[in-house]
Amino acid sequence: MLISLPIRILLILGSLLTAMFILRRVRYAKVQIEDSLFWLFCSAFLLFLSIFPEITTWIARRLGFMSEINVVYLSMIFLLLIKQFYMSVRISQMDSKLKSLTQKIALNEEKIERKNSEH
Amino acid sequence: MSKLLIVIPAYNEEDNIVRVVSELSERYPQYDYVVINDGSRDQTATLCRQHGFRLIDLPVNLGLAGAFQTGLRYAAENGYDCALQFDADGQHKPEYIQPMLEELENGADIVIGSRFLTVKKPKSLRMLGSYLISWAIRLTTGRAICDPTSGMRMFNRRMVNEFALNLNYGPEPDTISYLIKNGAIVKEIQVEMGERVAGSSYLTFTRAAQYMFKMGLSILLIQWFRKREPVIAYPERSL
Repeated sequence: MLISLPIRILLILGSLLTAMFILRRVRYAKVQIEDSLFWLFCSAFLLFLSIFPEITTWIARRLGFMSEINVVYLSMIFLLLIKQFYMSVRISQMDSKLKSLTQKIALNEEKIERKNSEH
Repeated sequence: MSKLLIVIPAYNEEDNIVRVVSELSERYPQYDYVVINDGSRDQTATLCRQHGFRLIDLPVNLGLAGAFQTGLRYAAENGYDCALQFDADGQHKPEYIQPMLEELENGADIVIGSRFLTVKKPKSLRMLGSYLISWAIRLTTGRAICDPTSGMRMFNRRMVNEFALNLNYGPEPDTISYLIKNGAIVKEIQVEMGERVAGSSYLTFTRAAQYMFKMGLSILLIQWFRKREPVIAYPERSL
């Protein structure tokens, strides 16, 4: 089953809106440029698939998908999983940094208090 | 003469830091410097303390952009007129600070210590990235920046204030291209750079390729969309 025209239009709109949304964030310095690149790449990828549906047809035939739209779903799930993985790593790093910062502040505080009570 | 602060971000530079900073403080006592230890896991901070260097010791690793920004906040808070980004690995030569400072006083906002202003850039794989970034900046701003990846850059007070507090102001070519587009005056001065004497470079091939990709996309695509906020002087903002 080829991807129907309404779905293609929906995909195009979705990808353009994603790009617009993230670029607005960049414009008002609400997001780091590194972090915006993934979403721009994502929306470019979606746009590409919806403008050239022959690619999904080719992949679906080669790999035995029931329907072309499943190729789109699966690739989106795959992209999101990768993103999820990297975010999980990053949260973990942030966690340990936060812990180490909190400890540093508390240790410094203790040092100051000890110094004050000695005088 | 304007008051200059040399910002030296250092990450795992125990083999170089003493040599580099000693040379600066002994032969060029007219300049102030500060070492920003970016959460190194080696003896960098200990060595700085032993030798009595002026040190800001970050408790966690922030990356080059975060470490350098710390130095610029320090410059802004302590009333410096300009700041210089200076590598801790001995690649940058302090004798070029004076000509860069003169160029800055002639009215430039940013002065880049450039390896390829009068010297031809070698056509090697290592310089491919530099060529591509130069081309991207030329395409988007119309200006020729001969050595965009040089890490030796001097910023005037306005730039220091702007870099000190804002998001997406890493000391990288994409910020330079964005600022040129917004009317900043960027000049280059021919300098010589040495090879890293000890320790290992952070830049492996994969990292270099990744860096190139990020810079390319950022310069060609993203910088168009950024909006520049008016610069507010640091002390007024923190009051």
